[in-house]
Amino acid sequence: MAAPRDLRGSPASPGRALGPVHRAEERSVPLPGAPGEGDARAALAAAVTVAVAELGELSARSDAESAGILDFQIELLLDGELTAPAFARIGRGEAAALAWAGAMNAHIDTLATDGDAFALRAADLADLKNRVLDALAGRTRADFPQGAVYVGRDMPPSAFLAHDWSAGGAIALTAGSAASHVALLARSRGVPMVVGLGALPAEPGDTALVDGTQGVVRLHPEERLDAPPAHLVAGADRAPAARLGAGGRYAGETGAAETGPVRLFANIDTLADLDALDPAGVAGVGLVRTEFLLSDAAEALNEERHLACYRRIVERLGGRPATLRMLDLGGDKAMPGLVEGDPASVLGARGVRFLLAHPDLARIQARALIRAAALGPVNVLLPMVTLPAELAAMARLFDEEAARLARRGVPARRPPLGIMVEVPAAALTLDLFGAAAFFSVGTNDLMQYLAAAARDNPAVAHLYAGAEAAMFRLLDQIAVAARALGRPVSVCGDLAGDPAAVGRLVALGLRDLSMAPARLGAVRAAIEGLGEGSGEGAPG
Amino acid sequence: MTETVPSHGFARAPGSHRSQVEVEVTHGIGLHARPSVAFTRLAKSFPCTVEVAVDGSGEWLNGKSIVKIIGARIRRGTRLRIRAEGSRAEEAVAALSELVRRDFDEERRIGRTDGRADGRPA
Repeated sequence: MAAPRDLRGSPASPGRALGPVHRAEERSVPLPGAPGEGDARAALAAAVTVAVAELGELSARSDAESAGILDFQIELLLDGELTAPAFARIGRGEAAALAWAGAMNAHIDTLATDGDAFALRAADLADLKNRVLDALAGRTRADFPQGAVYVGRDMPPSAFLAHDWSAGGAIALTAGSAASHVALLARSRGVPMVVGLGALPAEPGDTALVDGTQGVVRLHPEERLDAPPAHLVAGADRAPAARLGAGGRYAGETGAAETGPVRLFANIDTLADLDALDPAGVAGVGLVRTEFLLSDAAEALNEERHLACYRRIVERLGGRPATLRMLDLGGDKAMPGLVEGDPASVLGARGVRFLLAHPDLARIQARALIRAAALGPVNVLLPMVTLPAELAAMARLFDEEAARLARRGVPARRPPLGIMVEVPAAALTLDLFGAAAFFSVGTNDLMQYLAAAARDNPAVAHLYAGAEAAMFRLLDQIAVAARALGRPVSVCGDLAGDPAAVGRLVALGLRDLSMAPARLGAVRAAIEGLGEGSGEGAPG
Repeated sequence: MTETVPSHGFARAPGSHRSQVEVEVTHGIGLHARPSVAFTRLAKSFPCTVEVAVDGSGEWLNGKSIVKIIGARIRRGTRLRIRAEGSRAEEAVAALSELVRRDFDEERRIGRTDGRADGRPA
């Protein structure tokens, strides 16, 4: 039997869990760099071929009526007139899924103008659009057994989100970073995680104990113990879901007389986060990362899918406000078929820049957001804004889509638009953003750009962490500028959920904090502590 | 019975393999999903070009493209011109116009003896 062996990495998400090793396929990690035009053409052509084959198989085992409809769809896919506009868009530099969805939406709009039998065929086109997008996405993200320890070089957030963690499990990465999105997700869901382990000589099925608090993975721990202690059984000691509201006062509002009321909001990355949240314990949802709610390009390009997610959130909050962020893609956030993982795009076409460059995508999401705003209090947050012109362009787009929905008689309300303050240029010129309804400081990205240190690069992790002093000076400026404009400003990102930082944030006058639900309890306790002690953290 | 006639500007010249016909669509709804599949599949089975124009429109659409056929919204009562050029053009035009007259072989295959003369309304 193999002897127990401890391997040291870096802690990324606290807690301990024991389980069988699942080794991720290394080649499932997307290659860095955007694919060329040839790749996108080949990908779309292959997806269309897959879709035709699927429809052919379906048709062969269907009754005559259904086969007629499926044959119709096959003929459409085989028609060069249908696919030519998509290939033309790829030729102009668009990614495969976006080119396909945009071209199909144009076909659908053309066909759906009259309410006759031909307009019904638009539904076939929508069906085809989604089928090809599914084929483009591959839908091959193989899940792994519940309770297993995921072992790999890194872990795509989509794989984390697709997995059911309710039975426990943990993550052990040979590379990775404590500041990556998957680490952020793991912390918010209480999944123990260790990164930076280097070589990890574990075979599938070996037992591993992941200690995310100490940053250690122990292989074959059973060889040292007769039986694993109960508290080491997978998931047994994971942090309980935050439960607020034990006190008599309004649970979302906590704080001391010296500092004034502090409002705590939750960040929502998955609908499971939403289900685990006690809405009575928060003032609202301060940040919904839409790009994590939607698992692939097919979902991102589906207005109804967006709306279904937003509807769940608005209804669950029962009148408390929800701040929904538009898709923040690019940088380290890939969505195959829309945007590939590309380190260069950290300083490139990401966030609102990507949306404005792909208005088809932006309009799909804008329509869903405008429809969601008719259901309850919804604010819309734009990611990665650098200049006021970007806000103005998106505001025009929202106005146009709101007018279109109104003409069609669809229940709609144009929501207020706010901006993420995460680009230093925007943070330093906040006085020029009077057109924004509100501000939300994204501390993770702002820190990354202030330090010029990528948050997922272990080689410069110390610089990223060390930029905190610069961060607090800038936060002071931001708070002053927002007050001068009379606009609310909140803080989201890991800093807002760090009990050690809360005192300093409150001292700067930042009263609205939004954090992972699992952090609410600790932050609330820290704020209670402010009222008892001296409490006044000095700005750095 | 619809006549096969040479059209203005598309007169049949000896050896040029051009053909044109005008036919009225009598099918219940028109060229919706299944009829358009039948039409374009048949059109694609011929090596010649096939084009259609709707209700006297001067715009000729690719008769092998289901996207174009659906987009033309060819309803019942539409007068459809079909033309072909190239190898087996006459055969293509004849087969396609027959398909339209037979209501695309789609419905009432058994009850075709309804007294109407092969597709033309009384």
